[in-house]
Amino acid sequence: MLKPERMVKVSVVGPKDYFEKVSEILYDLNLIHIEDPEETEYFKLGEPFEKAGVVSRSLVQLRSILSYLKLDPEKYFPKRRYKIEEVVAELDAKLEEYRNEVGAKIDKIKSLQEKLKALEDELRVLEPLKTLGIPPRLLKGYKTIKPFVGFVRADPRPKIEEITSEYEVFIKDYGKEYVIAVFVKVEHAEEVFRVLQEFGFREVTVPDIEDYDARISEIQSEIESIRGEIKRLESEIEEVKEREADLMLAIEEYLSMELEKSELPLRSLVSKYVFVVVGYVPQKDVETLKSRVEAETDGKVSVEILEDREKFEPPTKLNNPPYVKDFEVLSTTFAIPKYHEIDPTWIMSIFFPLFFGMMLGDIGYGAIITAISLYLKRIFKTEGWQKLLNIGIYSGIASIIFGFLYGECFGPFVVGEGLSPSQVHWFGSLMAGIYAFNHGHPIFDRVEAFGVKALLFITLVIGMFKLLWGFALGFRNVAVEHGYKEALLEKGCWFIGVLGLCFIIFGFTYNLGLFTSPPPEGFGKILPDNLFVFGSYTVSDARNVPLPIPGLVKGWQMGVNVFYFLALPLILIWFVIFAKAEVPKMGAMGVILGVELLTWFGQILSFARLLAIGLSSVYFAYVFNYLTLKMAFPPGMAILPVAIIVLLLGHLINLVLGILDPGLQSLRLHYVEFFTKFFEGGGVLYKPFGKIKKFLE
Amino acid sequence: MVSLIGDTAFIKGCAAIGAGLAVGLAGIGAGLGESGIGAAAVGATAEDRGFFGLGILFTVIPETIVIFGLVISFILMFAFG
Repeated sequence: MLKPERMVKVSVVGPKDYFEKVSEILYDLNLIHIEDPEETEYFKLGEPFEKAGVVSRSLVQLRSILSYLKLDPEKYFPKRRYKIEEVVAELDAKLEEYRNEVGAKIDKIKSLQEKLKALEDELRVLEPLKTLGIPPRLLKGYKTIKPFVGFVRADPRPKIEEITSEYEVFIKDYGKEYVIAVFVKVEHAEEVFRVLQEFGFREVTVPDIEDYDARISEIQSEIESIRGEIKRLESEIEEVKEREADLMLAIEEYLSMELEKSELPLRSLVSKYVFVVVGYVPQKDVETLKSRVEAETDGKVSVEILEDREKFEPPTKLNNPPYVKDFEVLSTTFAIPKYHEIDPTWIMSIFFPLFFGMMLGDIGYGAIITAISLYLKRIFKTEGWQKLLNIGIYSGIASIIFGFLYGECFGPFVVGEGLSPSQVHWFGSLMAGIYAFNHGHPIFDRVEAFGVKALLFITLVIGMFKLLWGFALGFRNVAVEHGYKEALLEKGCWFIGVLGLCFIIFGFTYNLGLFTSPPPEGFGKILPDNLFVFGSYTVSDARNVPLPIPGLVKGWQMGVNVFYFLALPLILIWFVIFAKAEVPKMGAMGVILGVELLTWFGQILSFARLLAIGLSSVYFAYVFNYLTLKMAFPPGMAILPVAIIVLLLGHLINLVLGILDPGLQSLRLHYVEFFTKFFEGGGVLYKPFGKIKKFLE
Repeated sequence: MVSLIGDTAFIKGCAAIGAGLAVGLAGIGAGLGESGIGAAAVGATAEDRGFFGLGILFTVIPETIVIFGLVISFILMFAFG
C-alpha cells in the first residue's frame, strides 16, 4: 500500500521458431511490462509476424465502421460476451457481412449526401432566377449581346447609364441583396462588368432547363426521395448496430489483440536465429511466468532474472486496496510516483474526505452529494468516472458526519445569541429537538466565537502535522535514493526548522491563554498555568507579550514559555544545517534563502482554509434561510412562493459552490502544501503486454 | 480635541476596520493573481479539454492570500473585538 509493487527485470530468450508461441503465452499472462530495446550490432528490432498485414487491414475497416456507428469500446458496455472460438469461427463471414451490410451502405449514404448537396445548390440558384421572372432560355445564348445574371448589393443602373444608354436591366429585391439580369452590347461588356463588380456582383450560372417551376418541383421531389432513402439506409444500419454491436466489438477486441501479439517483434531484439524480450514483472509473478513459458516451449525458451543495476528503471504498479484505489485518480493527476517513492494515494484517501467533510460539514448537502454520486454512477460507467463518483460518495458521507458534529442541515440552527432556532432555520425547532441530548446545541458549534477560535487552532495543528509528515516522508525518499546525509541536508533540516516553527506557534497560543482558560476563552485547563522559563509568571502576565522578542518588546522575559524555549535550539540547529547545505552551493549569500522558512509558516496558515471555506458556506446558508423566513412569514411580506424560490435557488448556488470549493481546496492542500515536500513523481505506469478482455470471455 | 468616543470603542472600531481591510485588500490581491492564471487556464482548456481539472486547481492557488487576510482579521477580532 505504501510502496509500489516490487518488480524484477527479466529477459525471455529463445529460438525464433518459438517467437510467435511465446508472444501468445506472454500476452495471455498479461504480466510483463516490456522495456523498449536499443539496437546493437548483432541484435536488431524485429519485424511483425506475417498475419499482421491481414489483421490490421481488417481492423482499419472495422474501426471505420465502428466510428460511423459511434460505438466506442471505452464507453460501450456489452450485454453478452463472446468466446474466442465463436469469434474465430465467424470472423471472416462476419467481416464480409459488415463490409456489405454496413460498409457498403455507409458508402451509399455518403454518395447520396453528395447528390443531395448538389441538388440543394441548384435549388439555391433557381429560386432567385424564378423571382426575376425571365425564362432561362432568354438569359443566355446571344451572339451580340452579353447577359450578366447574378446578385448585386445595390441598383447599378445610374452607373451603367454613364457607359451606355443601350442596355436592359431587370432587377428584383431578394432578401438582403438584389437579383439582377443586365443585357448590354458585347463591346460594352467589359466596362459594365467592372461597374457591376463595384456593386458586389456575384454571377449565377444559368442552368439548361425549360421551366423554373417544373425543375424546382422535380428537384424537391428528388430531394424528398433521397432523404427517404438515406433514412431507410440509416435505419437498416441502426438495426445491424442493435443486433451486432456486442459481436462487432468482440471482433474488434480480438483483432486488436491479434495485432498487438503480432507486433511484439517491434518491441524486442532479434538476431538471425534468436529473439530477446526484456521487461519487468512483479516479483511475486516471476515464477508463474518462468514455469509457464518454459513448460510450454519444452524448455527451449528461457526466462532469466537480470541483475541489471545500471539500467533498472521499473514501471510503477500502484498496489492499493479497493477503497484507496479510487483515490488514484486524484494522486496520479499530480504525478505518477517513481518506483522507489512512497505512493501517497493512501494518505490522500484518508485526508481528502476528512478535509472535504471538515469544510462542507452539512448533513443536507452531504446527503445530496452522496445521492447525486450514487445516481451518476449508474450513468457514467467508465473506470475514471466510477472512481471519481466513489470519491464523491465518501466525501458526501464525511460531510454528513461533520454536519452532525456541527449541527448543520442546509444551514445552522443556532446562530449567536438572541435568535431562536426557528428564526434562522426552516426546521429549526425540529433540529433543536434532535440535539436535545446536548441541551439543544450542536456538538461543535463552528459559528460562535469560541468554535471559530478552536477550529482555527485545530486546522493549524493539522497543518503543522501534515507539513512535518511531508518532510519526514521526503527524508525517507531522499535517504533511499541518495543516503542519509543528503536526506538530512535536503529534507531533515526543514523538518527541524518547521518543528521549531510549530513550537513558536504553540508558544504564541499558550501566551494567548488558549490552553489555560476555560471555554469560551480557551480549551480549558489543558496545560499548567506557569510554564515560564524566567521567574514565576502566569498566563495573564504573558498575555501582554505574546511574541517575546528581546530588545523589541518591553518585558519580554514574561512571555518566554517552555515552547519558545524549545523552539530556539531547533531553529538554531536548522539554521546551521541549512547553512551547511546552501553555502557550498550558493556562497555566503545562500544564507538569505533561509527566509524560505517563512514560506512554511505561510503554508501552515494556509490550512486555515479548512475553517474559512466552511464558514463562508455556513453563512451563505444562514443568510438564505433567515432572509426567506423573514419574507415568508409575518410580520414580513407574506410572499411564500417567492421566498421558496429564493430559498431553493440560494441553496442550489451554495451546493454547487459547496462541491467545487471544498473539493478543489482539499485537493490543493494535498498538491501544494503536502506533496511538494516529498513527492517528485515522474514514474511510468505499469502496462503489461496483454489485455484485460471486455467483450470476450 | 474633544473626544467623541471612548478609547475602548476607538480601538475596537479600528480593529474592525483593520479586519475588514485585511480581508478586502487580500481579496483584491488574490483576484488580481487569479485573473491571469484563470485566463491562461481557460486558454489551455480550449486547446485540450483534459486540462480543465488541473486548470481549476491552478486558478485557486493564489487564494491562500485571502486566507492570510482572514487569519489576520480573526486574530484582530479575537484580540480586540
